[in-house]
Amino acid sequence: MSDRVFSVILLPTAECNVACSYCFEHKEPHRLSLLLVPLLTKQLLDHLDHEGIDECEIYWQGGEAMIMGPQWFVDAGKLMNDAAEARGRRFIHYLQTNLISYSPAWNDVLRDLFGGSLGTSMDFPNLHRKTFSGGAENYSAVWTARLRQAQAAGLEIGVIAVLHQGSLDAGAEAFYRYFTEELGLTSFQVNTPFPGGPAQAVAAEFDLDRTALAEFLGELFDIWMERGHGKGVSLGPFDSLIHHFTGAPARLPCIWKENCSNQFVSIDSKGTVAQCDCWVTSYPESFFGNVFKDPDLTTMLRTSPARQEFVERPKHLVEHEDCLECRYLSICHGGCPVRTYSALGTMLAKDPYCEVYKTIFARAETHGRAVIRDEILHRRLREAPRSSAGSMTTVAKSGRPPMGGPT
Amino acid sequence: MDQPEVSEILQESADDEAPRFSTLYLTSAQAETSTAESYVVIVRTRDEFERWLLHPAPGAMLLQVEGLIMDPQGWATAAQGAQPIPVDVVLGDPASEFSSLYRLVDVRNSRAVRVTIVARPGFMKALRLAVSLGLPVRLLPGQPNAALLAELHDAANFYLRDPMVEVPVEFFHSLLAGFFEPEAATLWDFLEQSPALASLDGECATCRWQEVCAGYFKHPDPAYDCAGVKQLFTALEAAAEEIKCDLAAVNDGISP
Repeated sequence: MSDRVFSVILLPTAECNVACSYCFEHKEPHRLSLLLVPLLTKQLLDHLDHEGIDECEIYWQGGEAMIMGPQWFVDAGKLMNDAAEARGRRFIHYLQTNLISYSPAWNDVLRDLFGGSLGTSMDFPNLHRKTFSGGAENYSAVWTARLRQAQAAGLEIGVIAVLHQGSLDAGAEAFYRYFTEELGLTSFQVNTPFPGGPAQAVAAEFDLDRTALAEFLGELFDIWMERGHGKGVSLGPFDSLIHHFTGAPARLPCIWKENCSNQFVSIDSKGTVAQCDCWVTSYPESFFGNVFKDPDLTTMLRTSPARQEFVERPKHLVEHEDCLECRYLSICHGGCPVRTYSALGTMLAKDPYCEVYKTIFARAETHGRAVIRDEILHRRLREAPRSSAGSMTTVAKSGRPPMGGPT
Repeated sequence: MDQPEVSEILQESADDEAPRFSTLYLTSAQAETSTAESYVVIVRTRDEFERWLLHPAPGAMLLQVEGLIMDPQGWATAAQGAQPIPVDVVLGDPASEFSSLYRLVDVRNSRAVRVTIVARPGFMKALRLAVSLGLPVRLLPGQPNAALLAELHDAANFYLRDPMVEVPVEFFHSLLAGFFEPEAATLWDFLEQSPALASLDGECATCRWQEVCAGYFKHPDPAYDCAGVKQLFTALEAAAEEIKCDLAAVNDGISP
């Protein structure tokens, strides 16, 4: 068996219980029937068999996944896991929810199926996540109460924050303090916005000035390095970049994969298959097929003309853009197709956040070198406890040997 | 100088079962009937490739894949990984084939993959992308003309200086390592090619790199002028000295 992991972003419903103004999804009252879970599972396991892959990560999202109720996940999880075990495979389940429907009734399934953790979302300041009747203020109040409940239940919670103009206006210091001090979180990540699907109507609100965005992210990176890194706070994608630049195993976010088409697909409640949740809910022209109608997933993925465009995108970029000359090609590969498509109307161009990414990468490289330098220094000091302060300064100045490859 | 054929640079002599770098290289047809304990299978068609991917004989230790980088079907099969026989992917025309290296992303998670790049104009594109994908590289220099020598210098500099390079690029890698821990190996060994019968008289006789080069750059044309190649060797040697100085500075700085 190979080291490959196949991931599926699985949307059991297109319904949602909130009304966020920048949501890219077309919402509709449709749910995945438990009767279809065995067929969906068989398609996934057949694909794993064919590709020689042991594990499949299932990222349950929506719509809003909790609309399905905890018992639905108990039943669906058992159907899937039993079928996988019988074929010597394994599903690993993750849940992304807005938390609005969370109650202690979820705790058992969250512990048993999802390993006691969940992912949710909140912005700072919250201007765009809204309940149907109470707006953003009401959303924040309900979400925060649910978060406290989940924290009290001992669940591990990771939060995704989408940046918007208000975040930049508030500044990185206030942003960091909100998530770490006010909410008490030890794991969160920042995402760049994109005006996909229905959110196109509010695109202007998210067309952030690239220089200001890069400055914000750089400052946030610095704050995290000073107060969070190595002190129990995980902040993505900075943490995985630090891993990368210090030689540790790093799982970079999907936007920087060599080719996201190799890594995952998304399937909605009707069986529609597309590249990720952004595509499956917003861009019908890019659907790969339907897992309930096509004879097998492997053939669908290999023959879909729409998927072929994703497969070929990185090739196109190194031939036609300046990606090949970029020193960060190995950790970017042209960025995210959906961010590109939603901004430019084609995915055959590099990510419009290219310059922002470069700024972050450069910052990560600098911080990574400092981390390595500190580690060498501390190791040497342990080996040579009589070292003088003066010699430490010499080491710090000399830094890492300049050679990239062999050292 | 006319460009040699890829097979000439690879030094393939698959007409007989002649050993090369102590390894036997066999065409797919030859390998079918071979009783040798271990050998490399040279595959040049999708059928040959898939045959050896899916049903490798016990003696097949590596598949040398030639002229197939543009074929997505073969690489989709290679990514399945049920029989993880390693593959060495040969790019004979790297300037036009380089972007297809993205086909190897899944393959490298299923089996060991190396890219052999024949140094032809524009090969740096393939080198950059292969390294960015974390694929080890064997760079076959042949007898480079002035333009290729300039590109080889760029390649050496990229290997030495770019912090993104995390995989070995042969022959730079072994040559550089030899400056730290000298060994009895030559360029022929580093590049896994069997030594040609080159005379070590003439320019070689007084060359300070003769021991490690072993006449590599005098083949096939013994009149080849090695001046540019010698500069390349010198640049690698200087880099090794630079590393030694840096390491010494680090150690000196914290010694009691």
